[in-house]
Amino acid sequence: MGLVILVLVVIGALLAIASGVWVAVALVGAISVNRAVPEARCQTDEASND
Amino acid sequence: MDTALSVAVVLAYVLVLTFVALRARAARQFAEFSLARRALPLALVFGSLAATYVGPGFSIGFVGRGFKSGFLFLVIGLAYSLQNILVGLLLAPRLRGLKDCHTLGDAIGQKYDRKCQILAGIISVGLCAGFAAVMAKAGGVVVHDIFGLPGWSSVILVVGITTLYTTFGGLRASVITDAFQFTAFAILLPITLLLALIFHLAGGPAGFAREASAVTTAGFHSTPPIEIVGLVAAFLLGETLIPPYANRALASKTTRISRNGFILAGLFSIVWFTVMIALGVVARSIVAPNTDEDYVLLKSVELIMPAGGRALLLVVLVSVVMSSLDSLLNAGAVAFAQDIVKPFGRVDDSAALNIGRGATIVIAATAAAGAVAVPSIISGLLICYTIWAPAILPALIIGLWTKHPRPLAGILSMCVGTFVAIIFQFVFPSATRVPAIIPALGAALLAYIVGHWVEKIRSGA
Repeated sequence: MGLVILVLVVIGALLAIASGVWVAVALVGAISVNRAVPEARCQTDEASND
Repeated sequence: MDTALSVAVVLAYVLVLTFVALRARAARQFAEFSLARRALPLALVFGSLAATYVGPGFSIGFVGRGFKSGFLFLVIGLAYSLQNILVGLLLAPRLRGLKDCHTLGDAIGQKYDRKCQILAGIISVGLCAGFAAVMAKAGGVVVHDIFGLPGWSSVILVVGITTLYTTFGGLRASVITDAFQFTAFAILLPITLLLALIFHLAGGPAGFAREASAVTTAGFHSTPPIEIVGLVAAFLLGETLIPPYANRALASKTTRISRNGFILAGLFSIVWFTVMIALGVVARSIVAPNTDEDYVLLKSVELIMPAGGRALLLVVLVSVVMSSLDSLLNAGAVAFAQDIVKPFGRVDDSAALNIGRGATIVIAATAAAGAVAVPSIISGLLICYTIWAPAILPALIIGLWTKHPRPLAGILSMCVGTFVAIIFQFVFPSATRVPAIIPALGAALLAYIVGHWVEKIRSGA
């Protein structure tokens, strides 16, 4: 039981680290080519983007 | 050697943060300042949402609670995770689907009328200033503890730096710096936990489980059920779609990104609470048993991490505060320009941008001044939760889900919800054992129903 709890905690820690890495990669992409905010797009397609 | 290394690490972090903030560029239009041109991708929406809600309460506070009551607060925190997932499934896509909508007040204005928008704007600005005052206090405490600066100059330092990049860069700068700060703490704090598990785990896995079980059981026994119900209600409703979250829902590139950003942020909160509480449980074999809750994380970091890593982590703790503060300042400023100023007359784009920038500075100054009046970080947050949920949520949620909501219902619900929350929170705090958020929510819903029927009868519909 103890081992199971510990494994779950370790998996949680690794998932958190993976999330941080994912956002870091997106951030580097966004600021390196200023893609975070491209020029304004037509807003009429917003609701249909689903 | 250790001091030189620590100073070098702190300087390097500040330099990288400055570089990232500069890369975000100054906003040149109000649409950039308020909604980053509605072009945020999923990873940035998710990272910014998580960075905004992981403030001092969900980091320093949760480690302290894990230290004192084990996994009890994980159970309570799940209400917060559920809230984020429900917002992603039910509210964020509807909010994002509204045309020309910059704020929650805008959404309420589109669904009800202009008077409702102005009232929602006033509540939004007030609540953002209140939340920002709590963050300013937390930032001051952390900087004071780390660098030994006097309390007032610590508050001014944190608020000043945050205000600088938020004023010029608007939402885009807020989101990009949030993503950087999220990266730093989402990687470094779990690494601290892993190091603690590897090098400081007394008794191995069985010892950890025994400690966790004992302290969690003690936590449940020492917390009255009514207090647990109140905490669950506060975590479930208190931060639902507060202005910074609503701005991120509205600024997402598509409705799908808006929905998935909230769902992922909700799932991440489960992982995050687990990590923070486990760190608190492990800290029981590292720091003294009589350590104050708010200092468990700081003391643990000092004992677990090597010098350079320790300095970096302590700066990251300041970042945790700044990433929440910048979002609140921007959201309050946008609500002021969009919901309070614009309804009274035509305002051109550059004037709206200047009003937003001016409002950022005024809200920041108010927050810094108000920081001295904040009783404690957790109680300050709970006061804000208690007012926000009854004041806005009934009108907002019913408005988003019905075709023709009645303006009188919206006005009555917001006024009565705010009034009852303030009365139960400040004037008669001991009138009932139930937390103020519950009667205030009930009163707001009742007022909504009354307003709906009165207007229905008046209009003969």
